[in-house]
Amino acid sequence: MNYLRLVWAFFRIGVMSEAAYRINFFIQLFQSLLELAMSLAGLAVIFSYTNSLGGWSPDEVLALVGVYFLIGGIIGLVIQPGMEQLIEDVREGTLDFTLTKPEDAQLLVSLRQVDIWRLVDIVMGFGVLAAALLRLGAHVGTSQAAAFGIMLLAGAVIIYSFWLILATLSFWFVRVENILEIFQSMYEAGRWPISLYPGWLRFALTFIVPVAFAVTVPTEALTGRLSGTTLLGAVALSVVLLAVSRLIWLRGLRQYSGASA
Amino acid sequence: MTDPVIHLHDLHKIYVVSERESGILAALQSLLHRETENVPAVDGISFDLNAGEVVGFLGPNGAGKTTTLKMLSGLLHPTAGDGTVLGYVPWKREKEFLRRITLVMGQRNQLVWDIPALDSFELNRAIYRIPAPDYQRMLSELTDLLELGPLLRKPVRNLSLGERMKCEIAAALLHRPQVVFLDEPTIGLDVTMQRRIRTFLSEYNRRYGATILLTSHYMADVEALCRRVIVIHHGRLLFDGDLSDLVQRFTAHKTIVVRLADCQTDLHSYGDVVSCDEGSFTLRVPKAQTAHVTERLLADLPVIDLLVEDPPIEEVIERVFEQGAP
Repeated sequence: MNYLRLVWAFFRIGVMSEAAYRINFFIQLFQSLLELAMSLAGLAVIFSYTNSLGGWSPDEVLALVGVYFLIGGIIGLVIQPGMEQLIEDVREGTLDFTLTKPEDAQLLVSLRQVDIWRLVDIVMGFGVLAAALLRLGAHVGTSQAAAFGIMLLAGAVIIYSFWLILATLSFWFVRVENILEIFQSMYEAGRWPISLYPGWLRFALTFIVPVAFAVTVPTEALTGRLSGTTLLGAVALSVVLLAVSRLIWLRGLRQYSGASA
Repeated sequence: MTDPVIHLHDLHKIYVVSERESGILAALQSLLHRETENVPAVDGISFDLNAGEVVGFLGPNGAGKTTTLKMLSGLLHPTAGDGTVLGYVPWKREKEFLRRITLVMGQRNQLVWDIPALDSFELNRAIYRIPAPDYQRMLSELTDLLELGPLLRKPVRNLSLGERMKCEIAAALLHRPQVVFLDEPTIGLDVTMQRRIRTFLSEYNRRYGATILLTSHYMADVEALCRRVIVIHHGRLLFDGDLSDLVQRFTAHKTIVVRLADCQTDLHSYGDVVSCDEGSFTLRVPKAQTAHVTERLLADLPVIDLLVEDPPIEEVIERVFEQGAP
């Protein structure tokens, strides 16, 4: 209950901070629409030559684009702003204020920055996903919807843990923005089915930079392609990564406070 | 006698700093191999603070004041030594401990830039889980004492430095901490605002019996607020005691102000003549000879008025820092 209140408090702050800069809403809207249009145009061109992409039909790839926007929106809404702020705070020393608060610092760091305009991407993602499902004519059963929900959550947790680990590196190496840039470009690869890529890249996108779990796997859950093994694997990976990121975070804090020196 | 609120025993903090030569080659080398150096920032400090004390924590830049405050507020882990604040070991950062202290840093802000201070306050209310009635009461008291009324609803970026500092302090005290650490709370503020903040801090101390440890470069802050001062230099304790004792201990001279009819008289045989303004001489004499010189002045000359003073506190502190250990 208290956590919900905290989430709400941070969200409120995000809304109020941004309300002063309403123009950003239109910029974000324009940017997101442009990106969506480019994606769709790309799909149209490709599917004018073929009917299947790595075993995926056009409408399935459309669903994938929806999930891509959805997860991208979640990253942009809360994960990325929080982690970028963390890196800045470590450099500027303003993390001290967070650490003197009687609340788990990881929780505060992860929630406190909200870029509300990225909600546009989330809404758009749902829109594209709904359109794709309508076109597929697939009736999504409860078990599929549940699998999709679980995979979406697992994907978000995996991506969050991954970002946290990268950002936590700033406790040791002060400037790590560049690593975040690399992640962002790798995430772009997630807008296509992972099966499209050659083996080594598929491996990298699954296990090194776990984009596959964030985008391809949830979409597979929705289109009924997902095997039980992958589902369990994704859940297990999310739990493990979350625990690992927590450990690294705690080590990072020890480093920051000089406890490990 | 109750237990001290703050207890530090032989506290050490050594920073491991990577060092390298200037130049691009050295920069590239440092990617592979880093030379490190141990810099002792705090080198064996012990002191106790009792409940309700307001203590000035003094020392030149780099003396280890901020490092000590950071250890006391749980941000830094000491290299050696132990300490407790309110019975807790600060660097374990227990929530119960953090709920009862606060740290105000004059050079850094915690308020969110683009929104009114009141909304940042709400955020702290959520984080500290302050019950609504307590929050309302504390907010209205702070608003009164710091005259925040017209400031609370303006975006923080539109406030002046002094106004922002008042809001920062209020934000840090909403949860009514029993121990308050202040690092240069009045830095960069004009004299009126400094005085306002001083008055407020002493009122906060009086009202809630809070223990306050503050660093400041403005001796006026220290004189107005603190009976006791702790002076550190190069990470070591130089002095811990009453401000008046500090003055006694570290001043070898007194100032005698003698009023005569005009500035014509030559007073060099009595002591160093610092200045003379419309017949009012300022003399510097060794402390031990003060009584003797005064006697002679009164006997020899047509003295209209005479005043013996301690030198200004800034001068004393400067001497303390110059001398190092007494």
